[in-house]
Amino acid sequence: MNRFAKVVLRSGALLAAVIVMQRAACASVDDAQSFALQAAEPYVKQGFQVREDYWGGDLASGEKKAVRQQLFKGNEYWFWLGTEVDRAKVSVHIYDSDGKLAEEPDSWEKGHFAAAHVIPKTTGSYFIIVSVEQSPEERTHWALVYGFR
Amino acid sequence: MILFTRHLTLIVAGACGLALSAHGAQAPQHININQLSTTVEDVVVPLPNEIFGALNKLGAVNWKEHVRSDKGPNFTERPRIALLLGTVIADGFIAVQAEDASAVKDIGQRVMALAKGIGVGNSITPHAKAIIEAADKRNWENVRLELDRTQNSVQQAMNEVHDEKLSQLVSLGGWLRGTEVLTSVVKQHFSADGAELLHQPDLLSYFQTRLKAMPEFNLPIIHQIQDALVEVKPLIDVGSARIPAESVKKVNEITTRLGAGIVTRD
Repeated sequence: MNRFAKVVLRSGALLAAVIVMQRAACASVDDAQSFALQAAEPYVKQGFQVREDYWGGDLASGEKKAVRQQLFKGNEYWFWLGTEVDRAKVSVHIYDSDGKLAEEPDSWEKGHFAAAHVIPKTTGSYFIIVSVEQSPEERTHWALVYGFR
Repeated sequence: MILFTRHLTLIVAGACGLALSAHGAQAPQHININQLSTTVEDVVVPLPNEIFGALNKLGAVNWKEHVRSDKGPNFTERPRIALLLGTVIADGFIAVQAEDASAVKDIGQRVMALAKGIGVGNSITPHAKAIIEAADKRNWENVRLELDRTQNSVQQAMNEVHDEKLSQLVSLGGWLRGTEVLTSVVKQHFSADGAELLHQPDLLSYFQTRLKAMPEFNLPIIHQIQDALVEVKPLIDVGSARIPAESVKKVNEITTRLGAGIVTRD
C-alpha cells in the first residue's frame, strides 16, 4: 500500500472514531427518553395515556435505581424503560410498599428496552426498580416513562 | 402432513424462543425496601386525570357540577400565579371529564395569561392554542394530551431558569384542586374504594418537604397550605386501615378552604 493510501485510511479511521466518540458524548437522557417512548408506542393504541413527565439519568453496569410512584387502584399502568445504547441490557420491575413484586407476568425485557405492567391491588406508593444489567459503556443513560388507562 | 408438522414444530419452537428471549432473569419476589442501597428518585406527581380515571371506574360522576372556568383575579406574586396555574390546569382536566368545550376554551386562554404572568408564556402558547383547537373539535383525547404537555412545558421552562420551586407550586396547586374534587365526589357517594384513592401519604410528605424549602415565599397562602397539610396527613396516612367517610369530609373541607384561598386575593 502506498503512503498516500495509508494516510487516507488512518485519517478515515480516526474520523470514524471521532464521530463515534462524539455521538457517545452527545447522547443524552433525551435520547434514552425517545427509546422509552418508542417502547410505549404500541400501548397508546390500546388506550394508555403516556405521561409527558419522565425520570432519567445514567447508571453503570449492574447498578440499580429506585423510583417511588403513587399508583391508584382501578387504573392499569405500564412503565417503559429505554436507553440509546443498543448493546445494553436493561430491566424494570415493580414492588409494592412492602417490597413484594407487584407486576403482571406479561412484563418484558428486550435488550435496550424493558417494560413492567402493574394493576395495583391497593392505592399507595410503589417502587419501580430500574437497572442496567449489561452495557459496553461506562455509564448508560436511561429514561423511564409511564402510561395509564 | 409430516412437512406441515415439522413446520408447525419449528414455528412453535421459534415463538417459544422469542418469548423466552423477551424475558430477562427472574426478578426476586420480595425485596427489602428499607435496605435499598440505591437513591430513591423524587416522585412524579400524578396528573388529576389519573385520579379522575380511577374515580370514573367506581361509578358515574357528574363532572359538570365540578367545572370551574371563571377568570378570577390577577396576581403579581409569582408563587401565587404558580399555584393558581396548577389549579387552572386541573380545572382543564375536570372540564375534559365533563366534555365542556366552552369551559376548556376559557381555561386555555386563562392558562396562556397566567403563563405569561410567570414569564413562561412562549413555551405555552402553542399548547394553549392546541387545547382551544381540540376543544372546538371536541377531541378530548388531544385536549388531555395538550394539558399534560402544558404542565410539563411550564415546569421545564421554569426548571431551565432555576425556578424549580415555582414548578413544584404548579404541581401542588394541581394536586390540591384534584384532591378537592376527589373528596367532593367521594363525600357525595361514599365508598371504601373511593376513599382509598386518598391514600397518598408519600406524595403529601413530598409536598411538605418541598414547602419547607421555600422560606423565601413568605405568603399567607403558603403558610395556610403548610398548616393544612399537617392536618390532612393523619387523615390519609392510615396504613392498611380504611379511610372513613368522616376523614373524607374533613379533607374536603380543608382542600375547599385552600382552593378558595388560592383563587382569591388576600
